[in-house]
Amino acid sequence: MKGRPRTGLAALAPFLWLGVFFLFPFLLVAKLSLSDTALAMPPYAPRVDWSAGWAGVRAFFAALDFETYARLTRDSLYIASYLSSLMFAAVATGILLVIGYPIAYGMSRFAASTRQALLMAVILPFWTSFLIRVYAWIAVLKPEGLLNTFLSQFGLPELNLLNTDTAVYIGLVYAYLPFMVLPLYAVLEKQDQSLLEAAADLGCTRTQAFWRVTFPLSLPGVGAGALLCFIPMVGEFVIPDLLGGSGTLMLGKTIWTEFFANRDWPAASAVAIAMLATLVIPIVLYQRQQTKMIEAGR
Amino acid sequence: MSTSRRPRLNIGAVRSSFAPWADPSLEPLVRFEGVTKRFGNETAVNDVSLSIYESEFFALLGPSGCGKTTLMRLLAGFETPDAGRITLAGEDLAGRSPHQRPVNMMFQSYALFPHLSVEQNIAFGLKQQGTPKGQIADRVTEMLALVRLEGLARRKPHQLSGGQRQRVALARAIAPNPKMLLLDEPLAALDKKLREETQFELIALQQRLGMTFLIVTHDQEEAMVTADRIAVMREGHIVQIGRPAEVYETPNSRYVADFIGDVNLFEGAVTAADGKRVTLATPDCPVGFEALEDDRLAVGSTAWLGVRPEKIQLHLDPPKEGPNRMAGKVADYGYLGDWTTYVVELESGRTVRAARANASRLVARPIACDDLCWLTFAPDAAVVLTR
Amino acid sequence: MADWGKRLGTAAVGMMALVLASCGQGGPGTLHIYNWSDYIDPAILKDFTKETGVKVVYDTFDSNEVLETKVLQGNTGYDLVVPSNHNVPRYITAGAIQPLDKSKLTGLSNLWPDIMAYMEPFDPGAKYSVPYMWGTIGIGYNKDAIAKRLPGVTIDSWDIVFKPENLAKLKDCGVYWLDASEDMYAVALNYLGKNPNSTALEDYQAATEMFLKARPYIRKFHSSESIEALANGDICIAVGYSGDMLQAKSRAAEAGDKVHLDYVVPKEGSQVWFDVFTIPKDAPNPAAAYKFLDYMLRPEVIARASTFTEYANANKAATALVAPDVRDNPNVYPTPDQLLTLFVTSSKAQPLLRDVNRQWTRVQTGQ
Repeated sequence: MKGRPRTGLAALAPFLWLGVFFLFPFLLVAKLSLSDTALAMPPYAPRVDWSAGWAGVRAFFAALDFETYARLTRDSLYIASYLSSLMFAAVATGILLVIGYPIAYGMSRFAASTRQALLMAVILPFWTSFLIRVYAWIAVLKPEGLLNTFLSQFGLPELNLLNTDTAVYIGLVYAYLPFMVLPLYAVLEKQDQSLLEAAADLGCTRTQAFWRVTFPLSLPGVGAGALLCFIPMVGEFVIPDLLGGSGTLMLGKTIWTEFFANRDWPAASAVAIAMLATLVIPIVLYQRQQTKMIEAGR
Repeated sequence: MSTSRRPRLNIGAVRSSFAPWADPSLEPLVRFEGVTKRFGNETAVNDVSLSIYESEFFALLGPSGCGKTTLMRLLAGFETPDAGRITLAGEDLAGRSPHQRPVNMMFQSYALFPHLSVEQNIAFGLKQQGTPKGQIADRVTEMLALVRLEGLARRKPHQLSGGQRQRVALARAIAPNPKMLLLDEPLAALDKKLREETQFELIALQQRLGMTFLIVTHDQEEAMVTADRIAVMREGHIVQIGRPAEVYETPNSRYVADFIGDVNLFEGAVTAADGKRVTLATPDCPVGFEALEDDRLAVGSTAWLGVRPEKIQLHLDPPKEGPNRMAGKVADYGYLGDWTTYVVELESGRTVRAARANASRLVARPIACDDLCWLTFAPDAAVVLTR
Repeated sequence: MADWGKRLGTAAVGMMALVLASCGQGGPGTLHIYNWSDYIDPAILKDFTKETGVKVVYDTFDSNEVLETKVLQGNTGYDLVVPSNHNVPRYITAGAIQPLDKSKLTGLSNLWPDIMAYMEPFDPGAKYSVPYMWGTIGIGYNKDAIAKRLPGVTIDSWDIVFKPENLAKLKDCGVYWLDASEDMYAVALNYLGKNPNSTALEDYQAATEMFLKARPYIRKFHSSESIEALANGDICIAVGYSGDMLQAKSRAAEAGDKVHLDYVVPKEGSQVWFDVFTIPKDAPNPAAAYKFLDYMLRPEVIARASTFTEYANANKAATALVAPDVRDNPNVYPTPDQLLTLFVTSSKAQPLLRDVNRQWTRVQTGQ
């Protein structure tokens, strides 16, 4: 056979995947966000009247509007929950960096065989259901839970952490730690040790070598880890729902309320679409970071 | 078949008057005193004593695993000796970490900081020394000019060729003006032609800066071309130290003779030794060997004669009678352009290498395989080795 | 073009059906029920199958919101679903459930007319639904903990969970409210002397003001966690559903004699709620659904169910058959005097519902 190998089908696969599992649902949600609520099955209008043919489709599009989006800007609740979600995600990402970096750094300094075991230990929690792990935190943090039992053993005052923002941060940091550690570990482990010798040779103490060489070189991992955690944390629902208080304001909960309590599918969709739009910026940043990492890795 | 080496002795000859090691009143810059370094059960450096002098270009030469790199890393401070001491400018280096030692190293991998541009790499050590900004800029410009990388100051290492990277690494190590520059296999990653050019650049640079260079290499040609003195290492020991020509022409052991250049080693029994000449009886040469040798070797003892291929003449017609004359037939030859190396099988069955300069373009009687031939060498062309 | 679109639509429906096939599978002999969790004696289902040969697939949910979202989307594959009273009118309007063919239900005469009267506002004439259980909303509390903080106070009024001065004393031991806006507003409106089915936004705003004053003392809004929290002694008072609060009480008793709980329907009156059986419009096996409904209308069967759930049923003939400790508990079967103070709520119009929910979010988050 002459010419280029036939990779047509294989090359289509990712697009097919994205089309079926991202683009199609996205368009459905986008369409929904332009609809209005209605007491019907399903609870929104308009719906395409296929029997009316082309006119039905036209009528359908004519009935779509941006009213729901306008409402999002009018009610401070949505802005507040956006800001609150971004805040939760940003602070948790910061904490994750502070905790995850030393872990990843420490891991990368061990002998190869020990590193494998440590890597396993980081991945191990994934073998248990996410929900069970979050529930376990309820058992730890509740008033009569493990934490307070422990504290009272030492005569320390009890902490009421469950259903507070602190509990949400604990849950977020706990659940996302591997997503921070793994990319950091990947860059730190690859780092050429002779660079540190070179830095020492050129007059750096260990600390100086870390800040002048190790850290700047690990920035792609920092970026990847931060975005990998930040993006899903903005939309996190389970952790604030289970560990947070009723006052914990996050987008995931807002969407839940719109969808279930208000039966307002268009509003829930609009909030979701707006969230996606907000997240496009960090996602694009993440993409660029990845490209950079690949280039630097040449 | 391997090619014959062509040491360029003329370079060293320029500095033939430079011999600080011969002056007992001079204090060496670096002194290794009985230094030993073990890794587990392995003794990488075994009781090494060595002095290197100010402005010297010193080479540590040996096969991989001989301990030469460890010796250098001991000096840089990346390893700590298990026994012995190292002094630099009279000062004991024990307990001083790498960043406190006034030596800089050029790494075999170059170890350029990939996140920094060429100029930032070069400025790295200067910044660390606390040099004022303006001075750093001047020094960087100076260094860029020195290694001819003026236009590439803003490039990142991955945007450079291998040769350019090598020069950045060199400039970075030189920039802080260390007391001594350590070069770990500096040319190993370059292709042959670039390597030869760079060797000369290194010499020129060293002479211009007057800086003390210590180079570690497994390539005997590199050591011969660049160094004032060579220390040949074997299994953690230094077996011989000397000028390139000394090491080449008067190796002190079969190991050194064999490691540096090509050599034909003949084993024989001493039949006479008068303090000027030695004669040997050997199955390889029925008429016997004769060589110049001051030592009065015991008659009957075993000795080896080392003869470089270029010092053996090949004749197609029988040469005149005399010692050091062997008959054989051409078993193989390799044409190298400037030289042709012949492998001659002696009547005793062993093979001998002989090199002949291709002095003219047209050869009246080309030599072919299975041609009968004779080999001879002058008594002063051979070196007598007892170990 | 239209043709192409139609085919696409058909394809989409086909795909959806495929996805939901796991729910809809099974022959004519299978009945799919979707009910609240922990809400039936499993032995009843077994006996039903033994008697009728109809296999029962029983799935559970734990919020009306989740149920309604599923049912309004259609294609659930269920033959019977069990919504609460205030959701039913929406189901009817949306056409999600089918009117009952009463000729297929022989046991309807067993129902208790006094209680059925409460169903009038949300399902007039009980055209669409058959009651399963009913109960009240009230206060579950830890007797010892409350007595310590409010000595000498009788717990018989909403004052205890709505008045800031009372709540301030209870904050440290933990107060839960229901996370169900319609239930909480109904109770609050009644407490404030307003119509619990009010359609006036101002009434709801007044309730919101009251809620906001109490808000700082509320640890959590949750509709089901209070059972566990009360029973463990993690909290000392909660607004909750009668069955849940009584369940917490028996759990605490089973766990040892450490936590002593009680439940009260406050004297100002409270909401009666109903969980009712309805048949979705697209139920695959309505015949089996009718069979099951008729089975559940038998006094001896529904009495067993009440004994198990500790909720009252609406079957007059069954009352005598319910276990005495359930039947004689005024918190389960209210006294005739208490019955007079009870009320029931219906669905709100969508815009009002939205506003009420928005206010409820403000109560919870301050936003």
